[in-house]
Amino acid sequence: MRHDPIVSNAGRWLLDRRNFLRYGGTGLSGISLLSLLAADKSLAPQFSAEKPYAPRLPAKAPAAKNVLVIFCSGALSHLDVWDYKPELIARHDQPLPGNDKLITFQGENGNLVKPLWEFRPRGQSGKMISDMLPQLADLADDLCFVHSMTAKSNTHGPAENQMSTGFILDGFPSMGAWATYALGSENQDLPAFVAIPDPRGIPQVGPNHWSSGFLPAVFQGTAFNADKPIPNLATPKGISPSAELGTRDFLKILNDSHLAAHPGDSDLSARIASYELAAKMQLSAAEVGDLSRESKATLDLYGVTGGDDLKSRFAKNCILARRLIERGVRFVQLFNGAYAMGEGVGNWDGHKSLKSQYDVHRQILDQPCAALIRDMRARGLLDETLVVFVTEFGRMPTFQKGASGRDHNPHGFTVWMTGAGVKRGFSYGATDEFGFKSVRNVTTIYDLHATILHLLGLDHEQLSYYHNGIERRLTDVHGEVLHDLLTTA
Amino acid sequence: MRTVLAIALFFASTLCAAEHWAFRPIVRPEVPKVGTPGSSPVDAFIIAKLEHEGLKLSSAADRRTLLRRAAYTVTGLPPTADEVSRFQSGGTPFSDVVERLLASDAYGERWARHWLDVVRFAESHGFEMNQPRPNAWRYRDYVIGAFNKDLPYDRFVQEQIAGDVLGVPEATGFLVAGPWDQVKSPDPVLTANQRADELHDIVSTTASTFLGLTVGCARCHDHKFDPVPQKDYFAIKAVFEGVQHGEGELPKAAAEQAELDAIRREIDVVQNQIDESEPIATRAQSVPRAPVSPARNIERFEPVTVRRLKFSITRTTDAEPCIDELEVYSTSGENVALAKAGTVATASSVYPDSAIHRLEHINDGRYGNGRSWISNERGRGWVELTFSNRVTISRIVWARDRERAFKDRLATEYEILAADDGGELAVIASSADRADFKQGAGESDTPIDHPLLAKLRALEKKYAARKEGERVYAGSFTAMPPATRRFHRGDPMSPREEVSPGTLSCLEANFVAASHDAALTEDQRRRLSFARWVIDARNPLTARVMVNRIWQYHFGEGLVGTPSDFGAKGAAPTHPELLDWLADEFIRSGWSIKHVHRLILNSAVYQQASAPTKEGLQRDASARLLWRFPPRRLEAEAIRDSVLLISGTLDRRVGGPGFSFFEPNENYVRVYAPRSEWSSETFRRMVYGTVVRQRPDGVFGVFDCPDAGQIAPKRTRSTTPLQALNLLNSTFMFEQSQRFAAELQRSKSNLEGQLRLAFERAFQRTPTADELTAAHSLAEEHGLPIFCRALLNSNEFVYLF
Repeated sequence: MRHDPIVSNAGRWLLDRRNFLRYGGTGLSGISLLSLLAADKSLAPQFSAEKPYAPRLPAKAPAAKNVLVIFCSGALSHLDVWDYKPELIARHDQPLPGNDKLITFQGENGNLVKPLWEFRPRGQSGKMISDMLPQLADLADDLCFVHSMTAKSNTHGPAENQMSTGFILDGFPSMGAWATYALGSENQDLPAFVAIPDPRGIPQVGPNHWSSGFLPAVFQGTAFNADKPIPNLATPKGISPSAELGTRDFLKILNDSHLAAHPGDSDLSARIASYELAAKMQLSAAEVGDLSRESKATLDLYGVTGGDDLKSRFAKNCILARRLIERGVRFVQLFNGAYAMGEGVGNWDGHKSLKSQYDVHRQILDQPCAALIRDMRARGLLDETLVVFVTEFGRMPTFQKGASGRDHNPHGFTVWMTGAGVKRGFSYGATDEFGFKSVRNVTTIYDLHATILHLLGLDHEQLSYYHNGIERRLTDVHGEVLHDLLTTA
Repeated sequence: MRTVLAIALFFASTLCAAEHWAFRPIVRPEVPKVGTPGSSPVDAFIIAKLEHEGLKLSSAADRRTLLRRAAYTVTGLPPTADEVSRFQSGGTPFSDVVERLLASDAYGERWARHWLDVVRFAESHGFEMNQPRPNAWRYRDYVIGAFNKDLPYDRFVQEQIAGDVLGVPEATGFLVAGPWDQVKSPDPVLTANQRADELHDIVSTTASTFLGLTVGCARCHDHKFDPVPQKDYFAIKAVFEGVQHGEGELPKAAAEQAELDAIRREIDVVQNQIDESEPIATRAQSVPRAPVSPARNIERFEPVTVRRLKFSITRTTDAEPCIDELEVYSTSGENVALAKAGTVATASSVYPDSAIHRLEHINDGRYGNGRSWISNERGRGWVELTFSNRVTISRIVWARDRERAFKDRLATEYEILAADDGGELAVIASSADRADFKQGAGESDTPIDHPLLAKLRALEKKYAARKEGERVYAGSFTAMPPATRRFHRGDPMSPREEVSPGTLSCLEANFVAASHDAALTEDQRRRLSFARWVIDARNPLTARVMVNRIWQYHFGEGLVGTPSDFGAKGAAPTHPELLDWLADEFIRSGWSIKHVHRLILNSAVYQQASAPTKEGLQRDASARLLWRFPPRRLEAEAIRDSVLLISGTLDRRVGGPGFSFFEPNENYVRVYAPRSEWSSETFRRMVYGTVVRQRPDGVFGVFDCPDAGQIAPKRTRSTTPLQALNLLNSTFMFEQSQRFAAELQRSKSNLEGQLRLAFERAFQRTPTADELTAAHSLAEEHGLPIFCRALLNSNEFVYLF
């Protein structure tokens, strides 16, 4: 029966309709299929070619409508800021027990090294956080920490791939692509998924972080920041507004008569709609990137003013992130750290001289990022927005042999969340006494992704897309929702 | 619904080869007796199915639409207005048009790009550093050439798997076209995982490309839906265990090689003359002779007549000793050690299982580590030469590596002994009178201040300059691959039993030794055997998968909707009999891809109109049954190439190194900033644009170009506002609009003529009166380039009907 594509074999239909949506996402004339599709809730997300970003309701009522991911590229040391280990301080300069011949990413390791910044209790909760990021530390009562995160790779590229796409290999759709594929967006005039690269450049695996992989390209993240607008957004110099208007009119004449000659082909009207959306986006994207109306108080809060160029530019990116979320953009990624400048120079990859490198980066990150959380809280945005603060893996409790920095450590590190649906002032999981390996409530990136999707009202086991023989998921074949972190389990 | 599907899948997985359609032998089906007389078998199969569904084929498309369609699906470029009007005026049969299109270079350029999608080809490594592969383009050219000369597909398959054996070394670019993580580490777990991922990419892409099977799913466990046990995955992995990412040198043309050999001989003559000033060995030396050198050592002695000679090593710098070539010169200056002079070599031992370290390399006349002998004893070993006649000799030359790449394994204590017929071996030279070897010192291998030295160096320089050949990113190969073990749950840290090379156990054509040719290495034998199994007539997948790909790129959708997955989880064929008929024709034609094109293009199914009908839309909205030709948006490449063609700027040069879509950059983690200016070297077809993994072109990449991280056997087709912004506002498009306008102004003197020509070039038709009026007012008010820009943004320009 499965060999017959048209007669009403149920299994056959399932495949056909799924393929219709997936490959013919902009396929021709879906009219006759749409009613059939509506009856089957278990199928892949449904979107029309004319309005791919139309908001779509998840199966369950979501705790969060939007997601903001803050990604510290290069592997931010959990031991020097979030993960307090008294034993590491006590046994400073002693060997890591049981690991005297340990070879990690760059080779041999020396002795244990205590945190390079002092830890002290913060807020009502008394959560121990170091002085490295003092303003973020002050938010301790707001944050929900996961101290037992683990990654599959100890190399930046594959590990960044995993944090943003679920897979260590190149070529898989990113979390933001999955989210917008499932849910569309609340704002039809802006891209549904925006990636904001650091002012110093893009992270290690660059566009993989916001790739649509094998999902339709319409769900690819659009990368721009406060310095660099969306490429090709502006009408070229030398084309006057009236020439642009004339062009639109002429195009309409051409496309209308063409459409009349090809009735019933929805692809054509979808493309006409995409030009209308582009025109709206030209206005909206310019508006969202225009920070001139932000108050002096806001600029001061974020640290735009104050004279430090990189900090000021990162602060503008933070304001941009808030403005995008405010306008209903479904998924925003904000990057801190870029790789083009080399190991540790423009990112958190502190192999050689962690203290002096981090003294640069922490100044850029701390105030703007803390201001972003405070500002979003003040504006009520955290009621519907989930903020996730991640990095690709942790660092070793030892210094590398002959260096003053820490090597890669995928066995245990810290991420945190705040905002819609997650507990405040809460800590989950733990690494061992030196902060080397996760030992209690060990979590994986799959779990984190499952939890993020869950908060968006999505079941990570249901959200799938057929690619070459496999119903692919963000979480591969793994992942457990971390219910302990949620305000409503 | 789910239950029904689950049962169907269960059937397919448990009943294995015998029951799943794709594994059954290809049986040439009866052609249904339907359709009008003279309609083709392709039509008959399609019409039969349509009739069964109460649908019918649409009437023939108009000649303009048909020509435009054929030009695009065959060559990826639009026809010229002249070609259209000639074809419209009748006379030329469509089959002649088909032949003309298939014979053009543009055909291979178009279809190679399809193939490159299927095999995840890119010219950068991907992952974090994503540095370029400057010599990967030769594989792209190989594919273009293969399509253009209609290389039989069975040959095409074999060359891509084992081209190094078949005289087409660039073809194995296929094996290593995927991502490769350049970030290396002393961490053994990471290293093992990286290697496992590399081979996984090769195994899964080979299987999906040629067999349409997701063998990669069986890396961690038996395949859940298809008859692929985990051990089959590792058997195929063993086939490719000797493959490494990397570049190799292409063989030289005969004339080049002859020239190189001539220089070599000249060097030898001069070198021999210089060697004559070397001190005599074993004679009492006032100053010790030079210490041994990895690169070249001379032993001179009083002429002695001998029948055999033994080089006996008793100490090395480290490990087993290596000698790349042992030369023994007669008093007349001839190397009498060569095997081709009849000399026979024996040795105490030989390094096991190596293709490059072999006893016969000691006297084959070729230098370097790649043609050397190594013993199988640490710090010692001997080689003995028996000459075909008694010879009078006075000089020996030997080295660890005359190509100076290696300095280890150097013999530091040795004796050279010789004997005449029936005589006892006696020492004729040894290390005893040499100065002690110090690592790094003693590099000089000839006496200083010899009058011929300058000449020698000049010759050597000339040799080195010509020796460097053309390079290609087509992998490097380990002659004797390491053992393959099954990894429990796919984890390289959990190796289990050893697995021999093999194929899919459920397809009866088993892994047969392809050749006993001793010239093949174990690695080559494995790959060639596997390739021959892939194209074995008893393997039904290979032909079915390829004809389906060809069908897909003509109609936008294959008969099987999942082109690289013919397994149980993939889609079933809409027309299984047609698929088999085409597969059978394909094999009978000698695996001619062009033959399949002709069958398709000359059918009424291909030539029908694309207008929708009410019945059609109701019963089969996506036109999978082909009641019309399904319209679709053109791909990125076809759009860019068309823009260049109609603006009159397209550079039709075929092949060679590609152009870049990005600004130059040398950062170790490569930065790809889209270029801001487009010079004429970028006005080539897009298939010649260097493909950067993760970074499709900044203007046209958003038209669903694959990022080459994973295979893309079927592109998605999106419609997005960013596509609109790029076509409207990019520098590339703005400049092309201006060039298009300038081209019109060169060709026609008045505006109306220019506007008419623009329509003809872009749409291959004349404008309607309304269009002409609107065009007039736009161009008059805002200039011709603005009008051209609008034309290039229209639906008609980017849609295929």
